Amino acid sequence: MADSSGTTLMDLITADPAPVPAAASTVSSSSASSTTAAASPAATQQQYVSTKTALGEKKSKRAALMQIQNDTISVAKAALNPVRTNIISHQKQKQKKPVSYAQLARSIHELAATSDQKSSQKQLVHHVFPKLAVYNSVDPSLAPSLLMLDQQCEDRTVLRYVYYYLARILADTGSQGLNPGGGIPTPNWDALADIDAVGGVTRADVVPRIVNQLTTEATNTDVEFHARRLQALKALTYAPSSNIEILSRLYEIVFGILDKVGDVPQKRKKGIFGAKGGDKESIIRSNLQYAALSALRRLPLDPGNPAFLHHAVQGISFADPVAVRHSLEIISELAIRDPYAVAMALGKLVAPGGALQDVLHLHDVLARVSLARLCHTISTARSLDERPDIKSQFNSVLYQLLLDPSERVCFEAILCILGKHDNTEKTEERAAGWYRLTREILKLPEAPSNSKDKSQKTRRPQPLIKLVMRRLESSFRSFSRPVLHAAARVVQEMGRSRAAAHALGLQDLDEGAYGNKYDSMDSFDSDMNDSSHPEGIRRTTGVSNAAGGKDTIAGMLASLMEVVRTTVACECVYVRAMVIKGLIWMQSPHESFDELKSIIASELSDPAWPATLLNDILLTLHARFKATPDMAVTLLELARIFATKVPGKIDADVLQLLWKTCLIGAGPDGKHTALEAVTIVLDLPPPQPGSMSGFTSVDRVSASDPKSALALQRLVQAAVWFLGENANYAASEYAWESATPPGTALMMLDADKMVAAASSRNPTLAGALTRLQRCAFSGSWEVRIIAAQALTTVAIRSGEPFRLQIYEFLHALAQGGVQSQLSEMHLSNGEDQGASGTGLGVLITPMIKVLDEMYSAQDDLIKEMRSHDNANKEWKDEELKKLYETHERLLDLVSLFCYVPRAKYLPLGPISAKLIDIYRTRHNISASTGLSDPAVATGISDLVYESKPATTESDTLDDDLVNAWAVNLGDVPAVNRVNEFLAGAGTDAPDVDENIVSRPSVSYDDMWAKTLLESTEMEEDDVRSSGSSSPESTGSVETSISSHFGGMNYPSLFSSRPTTYGASQPSQERSGGSRFNHPSSMHEGYGSPIREEPPPYTSPERYESFENPLAGRGSHSFESKDDDRMSSGNPQFGTALYDFTAGGDDELSLTTGEEVEIEYEVDGWFYVKKKRPGRDGKMAGLVPVLYVSQS
Amino acid sequence: MLLAILISNFAGNFLLERFNGVPSEERLHWKTFLVKLGADNLKGARNEELFVSSQKSVYIVYTVLGGVCIYIVGKDEYDELALTEVMFVITSSIKDACGKSPSERLFLDKYGKICLCLDEIVWKGILENTEKDRIKRLIGLKPPNPTEI
Repeated sequence: MADSSGTTLMDLITADPAPVPAAASTVSSSSASSTTAAASPAATQQQYVSTKTALGEKKSKRAALMQIQNDTISVAKAALNPVRTNIISHQKQKQKKPVSYAQLARSIHELAATSDQKSSQKQLVHHVFPKLAVYNSVDPSLAPSLLMLDQQCEDRTVLRYVYYYLARILADTGSQGLNPGGGIPTPNWDALADIDAVGGVTRADVVPRIVNQLTTEATNTDVEFHARRLQALKALTYAPSSNIEILSRLYEIVFGILDKVGDVPQKRKKGIFGAKGGDKESIIRSNLQYAALSALRRLPLDPGNPAFLHHAVQGISFADPVAVRHSLEIISELAIRDPYAVAMALGKLVAPGGALQDVLHLHDVLARVSLARLCHTISTARSLDERPDIKSQFNSVLYQLLLDPSERVCFEAILCILGKHDNTEKTEERAAGWYRLTREILKLPEAPSNSKDKSQKTRRPQPLIKLVMRRLESSFRSFSRPVLHAAARVVQEMGRSRAAAHALGLQDLDEGAYGNKYDSMDSFDSDMNDSSHPEGIRRTTGVSNAAGGKDTIAGMLASLMEVVRTTVACECVYVRAMVIKGLIWMQSPHESFDELKSIIASELSDPAWPATLLNDILLTLHARFKATPDMAVTLLELARIFATKVPGKIDADVLQLLWKTCLIGAGPDGKHTALEAVTIVLDLPPPQPGSMSGFTSVDRVSASDPKSALALQRLVQAAVWFLGENANYAASEYAWESATPPGTALMMLDADKMVAAASSRNPTLAGALTRLQRCAFSGSWEVRIIAAQALTTVAIRSGEPFRLQIYEFLHALAQGGVQSQLSEMHLSNGEDQGASGTGLGVLITPMIKVLDEMYSAQDDLIKEMRSHDNANKEWKDEELKKLYETHERLLDLVSLFCYVPRAKYLPLGPISAKLIDIYRTRHNISASTGLSDPAVATGISDLVYESKPATTESDTLDDDLVNAWAVNLGDVPAVNRVNEFLAGAGTDAPDVDENIVSRPSVSYDDMWAKTLLESTEMEEDDVRSSGSSSPESTGSVETSISSHFGGMNYPSLFSSRPTTYGASQPSQERSGGSRFNHPSSMHEGYGSPIREEPPPYTSPERYESFENPLAGRGSHSFESKDDDRMSSGNPQFGTALYDFTAGGDDELSLTTGEEVEIEYEVDGWFYVKKKRPGRDGKMAGLVPVLYVSQS
Repeated sequence: MLLAILISNFAGNFLLERFNGVPSEERLHWKTFLVKLGADNLKGARNEELFVSSQKSVYIVYTVLGGVCIYIVGKDEYDELALTEVMFVITSSIKDACGKSPSERLFLDKYGKICLCLDEIVWKGILENTEKDRIKRLIGLKPPNPTEI
C-alpha cells in the first residue's frame, strides 16, 4: 500500500544512528538509489516503486499488507527481544538497511535509560526521533521508554518529540497505516504482540499509562510547567474519541482550566502581546485559554450542555487569536443545531463594541470565516423569528464582512448571503439568498470604533449586489489561481441561487430593476445616479453596453460575466472549468447561448482537459437541468458539443442519462427539438483526420486519435440506439394508439405516397426514420447493426404507415436491391458492402420474419372476420382460441426485439382487440399475463405504457415514467454519479486513468430518478437519499465512495481480461445493454453476429496517462520504471533469487533459480508466470519484486 | 477538514503524508492523482507559485518549494482560498525549519523538525497555528505567547 512511498524514505533511515549519521543521512534520495543499486539490484527495484503503479485492488493491497506483515514480524520481534535480531533476519533486504525500525526502537530504549546525558539527548533529537518519524505508526512497546523520557528528561526538544510520539501511540487505531502518520507502513502491532506470547506489549497495555501520565501533566498548575501542560493536553486529544472514559476526563480537564482562566476581567486589547507584551500572569492565562479551547475544538460537540456553550462563548473574548477562532468555529457549529440558545448566549457580544465586532478586525482569516457562518446561521434561523432585532444585528455583521480585505472571508460572506452553507439547502433558501443579495443594502453602524479607520465613502449605505460585483470583478483580475477559482465558484453559486429564484418565479423582481432603488437616500455615490439605460441595451451584449446599463442588476451581471468570460483565458484548466460551470449556471434560459456554446467548443478542443473535469461539467449540465428544466434543449445542445468534440473523454453513461432526462424534461413541445438535438450528431460529417488544427466549429466532429475515434463510434451507436428507443416517445406515436387501421396502410403501397403520408402525419417520427435509414446504410458495421435494430423497434412500436415503410425498407436492405439507388445519395464509407448489399441480411431476416408473420396473421384475421361477417356466424371458442394463441405467439416474438406493453399491444391490429377481449373474459385470462416479462417486472412497462396521462405534461411528470427511463437506460452507475454530484458529495480521489471507466452497477438507487424532475418538495429527500452532503455525514459519503471504487478501472491485477481496450467492451454492453438484456434477452440467438465482440483493441497508449513529464527532469530510475510498465507487451524474464512461499491465493511460490516470465509490476510485486506449474500446481501469481532478478 | 497534506519529490515519491479522515483504501488513489496532477502542471513552475484543482467537493492547492512539491487537500471550510492560507503557513515554516527553500536532501535532513512543525500547524485535520514564530516556539516546547521578553 503505502509501501511505495515509504521506500523513498529509505535513505533517510538507512543511516546508522550511531557511527556516521550525518554523512549518510544527508545522501539524497536519488544518489542513494544509485549507490545502493550497485550493491543490490533488488534494492533499486524497491527504491522507486512508484505510487503510480499502485493499484486500488483490494487483493493486491491485502497481499502487500501481508508482505509488510511478514517483513515486520521479525522487526517487531527484534524490538521486543533484541537478542534474537540476528537470528531472525533471514531476508536479504534487511542486511541492506543499516538502521531498521528495530534498531531505532532499541536506541530509544537504551537512550532513555541514559537520558540525563547530553550525548544521549543529542542522539535522540538528531538521529533517532527524526528517523522514527518516517514510520507510519509507533510500536506501543516504545511507550514505557517514552514515558521514562517524559518524566526524567529535561531537554525541551526531546520532550517535544516525546509528546509527539505519545500522541501518535494514542491516535493509533490499532490497524496498520490508518493513523495520519504516513510514511513507511508498519504492521498491526497489537496483532504482533499477540503472536509473541512472551513479551508482547499492546496498546491496551500502554494507553492507560500514557493517559494517566498526560492527565497528571495537563492538570499541573505549576506556572513554570505550563508549556508542557499545553503539549500534554494536546497529546491527550489524540486519544480516540470512542473511549468514553478518556473523553470525560478530557472534558473535565478542559472545563477545569476554563473555569479558572475563562473569565476575562478586562476587555481584550489588540496588540497586547506585541513587542511590549503584557504582564506574565495574563499571558500564561491566555496560553492556557488557548490550549483549553483548542482541545475543546477537537472534542465532540456537546450541543445540549450549557457549560459547553458557555465556555465556547467565553472564548470569543479571549486574547489569543487562535483561541477566538476555535471558539467561533465551535459556536457556529452549535448554532446550526440550536441557533436560539447560541444567540441568547452570545447576547451582547454582537452589539456594537462587543467582542464579535472585534473579530471583524481580528487578524485570523478562518475566525472571520466562522463569524460569517455563525451570523448567517443565526440571521436565518426560524426559531429566532420573534427576535428580529437579534437577527438584524447578526445580519449587519455578516454584511460588514463583505468589506473584508481577505477574499476568503468576503466570498464566504457572499456565499452565506446567497444561502449556500452546505449542499442541503432548499431551493427556497437559495432563492431567498438571491433576493437578499439583489435587494439588501449595507449600512455600516455608526460605531465609534470604526470611524477612524473607515473612510467616509465606504460608510455610505451600499447595495450588496454592487459591493459583491465590484469585489468579484477585482478578484477576477487577480493573478492567483486559487483566487480566480474561488471567484468563479462564487459566480457559479450566484447562478445557482439565481436559477432557484427563477424557478420559484421570483425573477419578476426583475434584474432590470435598478440595483439602487434606494435613490431616495441622499447618500449615494455619484456614479450610481448618472446613467439609467433601459435594460434593452444590455441584452445586446458586448463590452460597450456593459458600462451602459451598469446600475441595473442585469447590467452589473452582464459586466461581471464579461470579466468572467475573459477568465477563460487562464492557463489553468481547473479555473477554466470552474468558469465554464459558472457560465452554465449564469446562463439564463431566455438568452442566447451562442457565446457559451462557442466558448465550450473552443475549450474542448484543448487536449489539456482531463476527463474527470469534463465529466464534472457534464454533471453540471445535469444539475443545471434539474434546476431549470426549461433549459433542456439548450443543455442538450451543449452536451452535444461534448459528444462531438471529446467523445473519448466523457462518460458516455452520464451523457446518455442527460439525453434521456432532458428528453423527458423537454415536455411535449420540446420533445421533437430535444430528439433533434441528440441525433443531430448523426448528421455531422465524419471526422477528418488531422483536422485538429485549431478548428473550433461546433458543427464538426473531432476525433484525432484512434481512441477518440472509437469513442465517437460508440457515441454514434448510442445515439442511434437512443433514437430507436425513444423516437416513439418523442413522436408520441404508438401502434396501440394508432388511429389508422392497418388496412389503410396496406392500400397505399406506393412508397412515395407512403412517405409523404408518414411525414405529414408525424414529422418527428418521419425524421427519425430518415436518420435511421441513412445510418443503416452508411455507418460502420456496428452502427448499421444498431440502426437496423432501432428500425425494427420503431416498426414494432409504431402504427401504420410507419411500420409498413420500415418493413419495405428492411426488405430492401436485406435484399440489397435498393442499395444501389440509395447509396449514391449518401456518403459511402468505402467499405465493401458485401454480396447481400449491406451485409445485414443475417441480422434482418428474423426481423423481417416477425413483421411478415404479423402482416400475414393480420391478413388471415381480416379474411376470417369477413367470412364470419358474410356468413353471419358467431366466433366459436376454438376459433377464438386459435386467434388468441396466434396473438400470444406473436407477442412473444415481438417481445424478443423490443419492449411492448403486453396488455395493450395488438400484433394482429386494432380489430383483433374485441375478439381477444371476448376470449380473455370467457377464459378468465388476465391481460397482464406478461408479468413474467422482465420489462414489466422492472417497471419499463410504464415507460411506453401510457396509461398515465401525466406523462404528456412537463411540469407534472410521472415519477414512474422517469423511474422507468432510468431503469431502461440500464446505467445505474451514471445515475449514482449524477446523484452524488447533485448532492455535492465526493471526497474520493479521482480516477487517474484517462480511459472511460465503466463501473459495475452496485445498487439501484431510484430515489434520484424519482426526484429528478420534482421541483422542490422532494429535494430534501433527494439529498437524504444520497445522504452525503452535510459535513457530519461523511460516513455515508464514504460508503457511496467505496462502492464507487469497487469498479475502478485501474489496471487490474486479477481481472481475467487482458489489456484489451478496457472501455470498449463494457460500453458496448452498455449502449445496447437494456436492449439485449431486458425484454429481448433471446435476441442473441437470432442475430448472433451482433454479439461479436469488437476486435480487441490493444491500445498502445494504455499507459499514456501514466506518463510523467517530470520523469526526464527527475531521476532515471523513474523513467526505467515507466519502461518496465510500457514493456508489458513484450515479455520480460527473470530468475528467482530466493525461495518464496505464497502467502495468499494470488501469490505464487518460488524456488531459488526458477525462471519466470514477468508480466507486469504492481506496487512492489511482480505478476509472473512460470514455465511449468510448481509443486502447488500454480502457474502464475504475485511475487515480491525483490525476490526476482530481471534478466 | 484538511483531508491531506502531502509532500513529494519531483520524481513523484512521497516524502511525507498526513491524512485526516481519508479511508486508507482511498489514500493511494489520492496519491496517484496528485502525482499525476503535479507531473502535468508543476513542470517549470516558479517557486511557491500556487496551483489549484478541484475534484467534486474537494479542493486541492499545490505548489513547488525548492526541491519538493507540496499538496494540500481540503473540503468544506478549507476551500481553495483557505488552503492557500494553510499553504502559506506550511511553506513559511518549512523554509524556517530548513533555513531556505529546501532541496529534497535538506528536506530529509530536517524531516523530524518538519514533522513537528506540521504537528503544530494541523491538529486532527483542523488548522491550528498560523504564525511562524509561534510555531517555532511551540516546537521548542515553549509557550505560544512568550512569557519573557
